Amino acid sequence: MNTSVMPAASEQQILDIINRFQGKPGALLGILETVQESNPHKFLSEETLQLIAKHTGTPLSRIYSLATFYSFFNLQPQGEHSIVVCRGTACHTRGSRVLLEDLTYLLDCADFLESGENSFTTKDKKFTIKTVACFGQCALAPVVSIDGVIHSRITSARLKGIIEKLAKGGKKHE
Amino acid sequence: MEQTTVKKQDGISPGTVSSSTHKEVSTCSITVNGKSYTVPKGKTILEAVSALGYSIPTLCHLNEVSSNASCGVCVVEVKGAKSLLRSCVTNVTEGMDIHLATPRVLAARRTNVELLLANHPKDCLSCIRNQNCELQSIASYLGIDDIRFAQTRKKLLPLDTTSESLVRDPNKCILCGRCVAVCSEVQGVNAIDVMGRGAKSQVATFFFKGLGNVACTNCGQCALVCPTGAIVEKDHTKEVWKALQDPKKVVVVQTAPAIRVGLGEAMGMDWGSLVTGKMVAALRRLGFSKVFDTQFTADLTIMEEGHELIQRLSNGGKLPMITSCSPGWIKFIEHFYPNSLAHVSTCKSPQQMFGAVAKTYYAEKMGIDPRDMVVVSIMPCTAKKYEAKRPEMMGAFHYWQARLNLLEKDKFYDVDYALTTRELARMLKQASIKFDALEEEEFDDPLGHSTGAAVIFGATGGVMEAALRTAYEVVTKKHLQSVDFQAVRGLEGIKSAEVDLNGTKLKVAVAHTLKNARILLEQIEKGESPYAFIEIMTCPGGCLGGGGQPIPTTTEIRKKRAESIYREDAGKGIRKSHENPVIQKLYKEFLREPLSHVSHELLHTDYTKRGVY
Repeated sequence: MNTSVMPAASEQQILDIINRFQGKPGALLGILETVQESNPHKFLSEETLQLIAKHTGTPLSRIYSLATFYSFFNLQPQGEHSIVVCRGTACHTRGSRVLLEDLTYLLDCADFLESGENSFTTKDKKFTIKTVACFGQCALAPVVSIDGVIHSRITSARLKGIIEKLAKGGKKHE
Repeated sequence: MEQTTVKKQDGISPGTVSSSTHKEVSTCSITVNGKSYTVPKGKTILEAVSALGYSIPTLCHLNEVSSNASCGVCVVEVKGAKSLLRSCVTNVTEGMDIHLATPRVLAARRTNVELLLANHPKDCLSCIRNQNCELQSIASYLGIDDIRFAQTRKKLLPLDTTSESLVRDPNKCILCGRCVAVCSEVQGVNAIDVMGRGAKSQVATFFFKGLGNVACTNCGQCALVCPTGAIVEKDHTKEVWKALQDPKKVVVVQTAPAIRVGLGEAMGMDWGSLVTGKMVAALRRLGFSKVFDTQFTADLTIMEEGHELIQRLSNGGKLPMITSCSPGWIKFIEHFYPNSLAHVSTCKSPQQMFGAVAKTYYAEKMGIDPRDMVVVSIMPCTAKKYEAKRPEMMGAFHYWQARLNLLEKDKFYDVDYALTTRELARMLKQASIKFDALEEEEFDDPLGHSTGAAVIFGATGGVMEAALRTAYEVVTKKHLQSVDFQAVRGLEGIKSAEVDLNGTKLKVAVAHTLKNARILLEQIEKGESPYAFIEIMTCPGGCLGGGGQPIPTTTEIRKKRAESIYREDAGKGIRKSHENPVIQKLYKEFLREPLSHVSHELLHTDYTKRGVY
């Protein structure tokens, strides 16, 4: 399996993205999102943030403040598959803590629970697990988002099935 | 000399807040604690009641700079309002019924401060800000006798010690945001911001690289406004004590102009107390073998810089020329405007000229081995610590290298330690010196001799005024009738004037704070600068408001210190640098003439293009 980091957006690509957002309110957030999505590992590297800061005239400290404020932005390369477990109140009362625990045992990363971090990527770069405060899907709790698709009223058994399929190299989960 | 135009630009003084720029002077009636008052409209409750003899406690509000309502200490009760209101961001309105100290208000203030204290380290006794800490004072004023909340921070956060000038301790930070505001709003540097969110929020630099690894100018204005000990000067007092106790070392000290108007405050005296003679007496009691004056080399700076300006004017050199005394400003232009470095005078700052002259001319004269000499400087400035350790600041070592067959391992800096006013005050207290009772004493000869022109280096506009006093007489060969250039004095953000040098009109400008410096640099980079000579000082008010000065330093206190600076100048027998007899002797015996070969070797420097990204 190829785990090397693929090249990030070039300076020219970043400039093109910045130009697309010219004059739009809240442009910087849009730029950061688009640049992150254009990265094969869905993250913003230090060099990338420096380029965005330089070409938008934003102080480096400001752009880092922004990128660390929103949990949406990743500063580390992300795994091939993204699993986001909702830890909002409704999901919590319907067992999301157990879902998260089962997930970390399944992926052999139990330390993540104690680390206080809100993101973990497996060593083989196959999965990134994240927690968020709320998806706004409380009526369907508990919910887990896998590669951007929200799975409602999910159980550990169903989650296990999906993960095993993805781990075997199944196609990106649709 | 004629000063044909005096232009003082409005709206660019550091940190003008919008609420105080309202033109219409309408009023409204309010009641405070049951008493009726008439106050100007458009003021916040905090501003309005402070003019009525009340003082609302606050930890995050910073007059003229920021009000981000983060600390929740300034809450007051307003009749009819659903909740308590933060007085720093709530404007007074007609008929407002305000209560400043109801049980509900006091309970809320206590709770908010207790929450801040829950994670705050309890090592006050060994903190640099002990007894000069706003959090400590407020906890005491509010009568907090218990902290009901458990500490939630499990592991101590690492200190940022990457800077030569400043140390950040995020554990002591209460996230008031003052340092972020001053770095951005007053200085336009933006080295720090709040990173992360919620309980994990921290003030930090880009990717937590540390202040020493980002575009920080070391100005220390953040340390001056920090309510706690979360950001402080890097302390070098232990090293200086060690040198003072070493019998093999000859330890000499130099004091910047702004120390004599600031030190008294740190020793319990009134704002802006002029304590030149007591300061000299105190330094002698600390054990320095000679007490010299940075003002001596301020006069020397004027000789070199004045002649550099005249040379640039007559040889078609790069104009405008910009002063180079303020090390925060130097690092700022190296980072943010590296393509304009040719505009900066090549003169070293007075601190560095002093070190270079002391370890060459003076050491030679007195038969002291320069390796045994320790030069300590007392500066109102944290950036001076960084400046002293710049690799190019080894003029004396290079001077002696061939003469004494020195090896690389013998390398020494021109200035060994730069202490802030606050560090000196700590040393004086440790040495049990009763400062206010000291008899005044005089500086030592020869490097303690200075003129009025050198004193005013401590205030914004002072270097310009000192330079004009000398340039006028050198260029016109005429006697200057009045040495007071009022046009370049005062706390306006940017001041400009036009002076007539024998028919040549010279446009000059003076800026303090780096945000104002930016305005003048943008003009230069666009090719639109009308000026021939510009003075830039990093800190608001100039060095007297420097990042190493006593805490608090406010606009009101800066004005008091400036008054003392100009009083000291007016009282000096000689007020023009070129008339300083010891400077004349130094040129005769050693340097020969301004901009000579030796001068270039010891007193001039070059700069580094650093960039930001």
